[in-house]
Amino acid sequence: MTVVVSAGVPETEDVLAITEDVWTALLGDDATLVPRDVPPRSSFDADAWSAATTISGGWQGVVTIELGEAAARRLTTRMLALAADGEATDSDVADAVGELVNMVGGNVKGLLPGPSTLSLPAVAAGRAAFSRDTVLACRVDLAWQDGPVRVSVHVPQEGPR
Amino acid sequence: MKILIADDSRVMRQIVIRTLRQAGHGGHEIIEAENGRQALDLVRTEAPDLVLSDWNMPEMNGIDCLSTLRASGSTVAFGFVTSEGSEEMRQRAASAGAAFLIAKPFTPEAFDDALRGVI
Repeated sequence: MTVVVSAGVPETEDVLAITEDVWTALLGDDATLVPRDVPPRSSFDADAWSAATTISGGWQGVVTIELGEAAARRLTTRMLALAADGEATDSDVADAVGELVNMVGGNVKGLLPGPSTLSLPAVAAGRAAFSRDTVLACRVDLAWQDGPVRVSVHVPQEGPR
Repeated sequence: MKILIADDSRVMRQIVIRTLRQAGHGGHEIIEAENGRQALDLVRTEAPDLVLSDWNMPEMNGIDCLSTLRASGSTVAFGFVTSEGSEEMRQRAASAGAAFLIAKPFTPEAFDDALRGVI
């Protein structure tokens, strides 16, 4: 099977920089993200929340964020400015994780040829599942406060399937 | 001053309200909408002085809300707070009658810069 990735994919460094910018804006001094060594093609290795947004038009692709359960809840608590012992509901976490992928996806879209549209985020309690019609274009694995964070960009697969 | 914040994310509405406060614009009355349709209704019934709106929302997006407002003769000050800050989106926003576009992720300084010309 020949797999050809669509021309014009975001650079891993750019996706990393966007993710770091989002974390810094939301968390300030607590935003430190550290690189995480994960084998290629491995599924996300934690109880997760995930969210995806699709870019359509001049460029086609899907931006996905996966976060460990504890990290997702801590991040939501911070985004809502709840007290440290405040509890974010599942609805809050879904809202926060969706907003994260909206921010990262919107900025990724800005790097790529347009005009394109950004979909509303789709959020799930669980790790992301990717269509067999897409191929991974870039992936960033990080840890925030010991919790795993993954941002990936998939593009349509071209050529024979 | 009355400010209408339109965003389908409750989390983001909270962050916008907090950032307004951090930017030194905390003393205003805030009303909230979950989508462009609701924002449209609230502009008509609540007469806000400023609308801060997300772009991508269900029911009615921000740009359609703004276009509908302008087509109906409304001159309410309107700014976008959106993850899409490309030049293309800024031009679309300005052409439709937006006063500014604040790109997410944002800082209190970005809010202050944008709002100073309106508030």
